[in-house]
Amino acid sequence: MNVEPTKTTNIEYKTDLFTRIVKFSPRFLLACLLIPVLAGLIGVVLPAFGWAPALSQYKIGLHGFTALWQTPGLVQMAMLSISTGLISTLLAFIITLMILAAFFNTVWLNYIQRLLSPILVIPHAAAAIAIGFLIAPSGMLSRLVSPWLSGWELSPQGIFPHDAMGISIILVLTLKELPFLLLMALGVLAQPELGKKLRAQHKVALSLGYCPMTAFFKVILPNLYPLLRLPILAVLAYASASVEMPLILGPNTPPTLAVAIMQWFNDVDLNLKIKASAGALLQLAITGGLLMLWLFGEKVVMYFCRDLLTNGEREYSGAFWQKLTSVLITGVIGFILLALVGLLLSSVAGFWRFPSAIPDQLVLSHFQSALTQMAGPVINTLNIGIVSTALAILLTLLCLESEQLRNKSVSRFMSFIIYLPLLVPSIAFLFGLVWLQQLANNLSVFVSVVLTHLLFVLPYVFLSLAGSYRRLDPRFSNVAASLGAKPHKVFLKVKLPQLFAPILIAAALGLAISFGQYLPTLLVGGGRISTITTEAVALANGASRRTSAVYAIMQMVLPLIGFIIAWLLPKFFYKSAHH
Amino acid sequence: MHVSRFGKILTRYGICCFAFFISLTISINSNASAANTDLNLRWQGIEQLGKNQDVYFHAWGGDPQINAYIQWTAQQVKALYDINLHHVKLSDTSEAVSRVLAEKSANNDTHGSVDLVWINGANFATMSEHSLLLKQWANYLPNFKYTDPTNNPAVNFDFGIPTQGMEAPWGQASLTFYYDSLATDNPPTTLDELVIWSAKNTGRFSYPKPPDFLGLSFLKYALVILHQDSAIEIQSLLNQPVTDQSKVVVLSPLWDFLDKLHPTLWRNGKHFMTSGAQLRRLVDDTELSLAFTFSAPEVPAAVKRYDLPASIRSYAMSDGSLSNTHFVAIPYNAAHSNSAQLVANFLLSPRAQAEKQKSNIWGDRTVLIHSMLENKQSAWFKAQEPHPSALPFNSIQRTLSEPHPDWVNAIIQGWNVRYGVSK
Repeated sequence: MNVEPTKTTNIEYKTDLFTRIVKFSPRFLLACLLIPVLAGLIGVVLPAFGWAPALSQYKIGLHGFTALWQTPGLVQMAMLSISTGLISTLLAFIITLMILAAFFNTVWLNYIQRLLSPILVIPHAAAAIAIGFLIAPSGMLSRLVSPWLSGWELSPQGIFPHDAMGISIILVLTLKELPFLLLMALGVLAQPELGKKLRAQHKVALSLGYCPMTAFFKVILPNLYPLLRLPILAVLAYASASVEMPLILGPNTPPTLAVAIMQWFNDVDLNLKIKASAGALLQLAITGGLLMLWLFGEKVVMYFCRDLLTNGEREYSGAFWQKLTSVLITGVIGFILLALVGLLLSSVAGFWRFPSAIPDQLVLSHFQSALTQMAGPVINTLNIGIVSTALAILLTLLCLESEQLRNKSVSRFMSFIIYLPLLVPSIAFLFGLVWLQQLANNLSVFVSVVLTHLLFVLPYVFLSLAGSYRRLDPRFSNVAASLGAKPHKVFLKVKLPQLFAPILIAAALGLAISFGQYLPTLLVGGGRISTITTEAVALANGASRRTSAVYAIMQMVLPLIGFIIAWLLPKFFYKSAHH
Repeated sequence: MHVSRFGKILTRYGICCFAFFISLTISINSNASAANTDLNLRWQGIEQLGKNQDVYFHAWGGDPQINAYIQWTAQQVKALYDINLHHVKLSDTSEAVSRVLAEKSANNDTHGSVDLVWINGANFATMSEHSLLLKQWANYLPNFKYTDPTNNPAVNFDFGIPTQGMEAPWGQASLTFYYDSLATDNPPTTLDELVIWSAKNTGRFSYPKPPDFLGLSFLKYALVILHQDSAIEIQSLLNQPVTDQSKVVVLSPLWDFLDKLHPTLWRNGKHFMTSGAQLRRLVDDTELSLAFTFSAPEVPAAVKRYDLPASIRSYAMSDGSLSNTHFVAIPYNAAHSNSAQLVANFLLSPRAQAEKQKSNIWGDRTVLIHSMLENKQSAWFKAQEPHPSALPFNSIQRTLSEPHPDWVNAIIQGWNVRYGVSK
């Protein structure tokens, strides 16, 4: 008799709606990420081999690839994608390591983090526009030395931007990916257990007479690197296949492969779509090859450096490297500040003839005329951002809660899948996705765009929230549960309030990611939904420097507002709670 | 009963006869007015059906002035017909073409996402070839009569292809050059002079890379001028579709010319900008001293916006200016084709055309013929004091017509093979 009721409550507990939703959520998350990517890939593979009902072509064959091989400059395009992707990732990685090594366990690291993290929220397009202003032959750098030093009365003939080697692209990609890698590394080091252990080991190494930089490379890096691997691969995948930066700063005789693919897809000649699909597969192979190359390089470096770790050498002219790092980081920050100053000046410039370093007059008319046309795009940007971020946070929280209910963390497979949209070049699956959406035909454009943004927002939101969620002290929930609180009550009343600040930060990050999306908005929205980013890229290649400066500034201001709110709101709430 | 029924039939018969006679008399008296009533009825129907809907207008969105003008249009059609006009800003019109084609292949024949598209030349040729456009509507627009269609081939042919009422004319453009008078005081006025000028002022001239519309226009201008003194048979090849033989004969002078010009261009002809707006930006940066545009009023407008220095002056080449008309078209599957016709008719109205021609608005030349307008309407087009950077009145001495659109692809392909990959 006594056994019966316990059994029923037990069943009730297990089939509780909240619990069921929570337990189901990881599978839903997987579906949300996997289905669009795989479906999109299929939508590219089929036309690549000639099967394109949309063009009434049903002949399976390799003619798409034949057309691709015959494209003049294909090798150059591919090489440009490979070199810009690989070099920028390597540079960003090396500089990250140098900064970490030189300033590990010092206050400087915090300062650098604070100075560099705002760059993370600058959308790629805005960064490209700003740096373009700086390095152009008539840009800020050149104006600062003219005519007193250079004697230039007219702008000189330079090679930046749009240089054939892709140096401008490498420069901007490096500057943009550096803060990302640095913050990822700092995030890893902020994990209480691991961070504490590593800091202690570093101290031990110092007391054994190791130079701080040597200690970092020999003690910290081997433990840190495995946790940085996925972010680095994501950076590499992005850099090798990005579209907006090479579009704004890259060469066009020929462009990078990803840009060329986009142009073929959009060409009047619809038969080019077959070639474009074949190109998308080539892009996939290139990105995949680069990822493999990186993993292989890892092995090689590990093989050759194994002995170095234990050779007992304490000093590799650390003082020199430390100074070099300081110079480098000052250069990077100065470069970015100068770019921002140039951007701000351009946005309010009247006549501003070369070689004056400041405009003849300052006017607000560019802001006025841009703001009157900006309302629609800004509203679209916000709507898409808010809906996709809200969905991403909801899904992430449910998945993390299911982790805790099951009492084990997500599988390796799952954590890989979360990274999938960041590892597969978006140019390779978005076109297929658009094609399939044409077939399905019944989703509204807004919903399609939001779902596609979700693909790119989810990984970041998940990564940003997972740490805080897993660090929650389980004793609070245990106490609440032992007092009879149902799982949903524990979730809503105990866990969420503790996560208030991290959720806001994740939301701000999600919004920033969504605001910055160019290709997904353009392709899936079919041009019907214009956001501040699609406008900025269109204008960067069209309209005046001044107008595109205004759009770039708006692109930076929107996510910044998000982060400021995320930073202020908890203070305000905690203060009122305190009272 | 029988009588009354017979009477009814008789009355009905009588009415029919009466109506027949009336209509016969009218049609004999004035065939035109009957047609007019038909047209009026047709138009009333369109007005009824087209009101109070959304129209997605796919148009190139790279110029803030044009975008602002389209916004003005949106306000007007909202007030007139309660139509919500959405400007879908394209970076290339071909995006809209591929969208309609994709919809056609997905059997979406009634709910197309493109209602109205700004188009001409190659894109129009593609769309009409694939039957992607609604036919026989533009010629029935009430405002079409102001273009004097019977005497004005410019509104019935698009790059030599008959429009068949598939597109309504919107504006006219001709190739206009502009230069920085602080950097050079003797800009070239013929194609020959251009080569000499560019050799003297190395790196101060460039043109947008094909397939950009403006870049192709420059190449077509060069092509037409290069064949000025060729035999008539060769000249006539320009107005015919391309064949393998004609391609060699017609294009080789162009490649010779470019081989000579390219080393003297901006970045030694190894990198090209992709649009006219980028060219303008380079002039503002003083990297270039000479450039060109297809829409002359854009130059003073840019100076007023501070996008070009005040020292800019416009002029037309004395050996000829390439000219063409641009249009708006409705895809065959447009979801709101009636509303799109209302918008197209408004774009063609004297008021909208006059607004468009104002140099501080857009400055695009009107397609309306002044003799067809009433005095009041004609007065709207009177220009204000010309801007120092504007193209002086009547400076276009000779217009050159566009070659057959087939040449566009031939030029693009040949150009890409020769110069698409820098060595």
